Amino acid sequence: MYGRRACQLIKEFSSAEKGQLTGFNSDMFDQVVKECSTHYLELQSLMRKIQEEGMDIQTTRNADHFGMVIHHLSLMRNKRCLMAYVYNRAEIIRNLRWKIGPVLPQEIHEKLSYSEEEYFKNHSTALESYMSELELDLTVDMVPPKDPYIQVRVLDDIGEVLLSDQSANLACHSMHFLKRIDAEQFISQGLMEELTD
Amino acid sequence: MAHYYNIDEIIVEEELVSAVFQKAANGVGILDPSAETNSVEQGSKVELPFWLAHELLQRQAVTIHVPACFNQKTRKEIQADAPCVDLRSRCPYFYELGCKVAPLVGDRTIGSLLLQAFLSRYKEVLSKAHTAASTPVPKVLTLLTKEETNLYETAQSSMAAFKKWRMGGPRFQRASVLGRKRKPTD
Repeated sequence: MYGRRACQLIKEFSSAEKGQLTGFNSDMFDQVVKECSTHYLELQSLMRKIQEEGMDIQTTRNADHFGMVIHHLSLMRNKRCLMAYVYNRAEIIRNLRWKIGPVLPQEIHEKLSYSEEEYFKNHSTALESYMSELELDLTVDMVPPKDPYIQVRVLDDIGEVLLSDQSANLACHSMHFLKRIDAEQFISQGLMEELTD
Repeated sequence: MAHYYNIDEIIVEEELVSAVFQKAANGVGILDPSAETNSVEQGSKVELPFWLAHELLQRQAVTIHVPACFNQKTRKEIQADAPCVDLRSRCPYFYELGCKVAPLVGDRTIGSLLLQAFLSRYKEVLSKAHTAASTPVPKVLTLLTKEETNLYETAQSSMAAFKKWRMGGPRFQRASVLGRKRKPTD
């Protein structure tokens, strides 16, 4: 059936959890693109057939015309599926920059296609240049703060880090009293957890 | 087009509806499995995805029938005990498809059927979502359509957020994208 494969691609995307990426299915993507070219060739051959029969392509409503319509619609449908696939992935990729930061962990990185990697890098650079122009880090304080300082426990060996107000040795399992904006990045990357009393 | 990139919108339109060709069409024999040549004859009955059937209907090339999930059997079951009807296996996009199909087939009863089904299931979904434990996944979830599943999950997460707010607790969280427990399949 026409458009079936394109829809499988979309279903695969939608079956992943919200906000999660699955690997870019370039096999299926290419197959759908190929399907599009087949539709285009069929469309052209039907158009030629109408013209050879000496009929007006604008007004003819014969079997060839409806064949053409079906191929045209299938082509548009495939296009829509491909566009939606790329568009919705791009949205998740933009969100990654806000949630995780400019460097992606390996397991997410390998799910991106080459052009998606480029997109992420360019988006990241654009955001950074905007933030440096504003002299404001927009990615922190995503949760409205109650207190400028929080208590955290380090979950991974981070090592000696220069923070905005102090330099701290963030060894594994150590506990610290840090500025929220310093800790926020580490927490969203999963390297620290917030402690509450 | 507002919903051009909407994933659910695309999947709804993949649902099959049965259609009868009023005009013949050449070069598309794949649509009709019984066709001997590479074309569809006038009067042949085929299953078309909604996106195709809808456009062809506008061009008066096909007529379409009401999909099987809105048949008398389903209607009777909904009248009897709506919350227990397994709508997911009938059509995971029961309401959305109904809204799209109703104006095309001119069946005025579909609208009230959808409303009645949703109203009586809505209350049940919400009360289950607020009381049931999140694990194991309750059996009721297997009966719900996509829309109702979203509703269920939203209700649960709002309940969880309320509890968290009342108890206090860490406000920062690890980015959810990193928190995958399952290994990717590829």
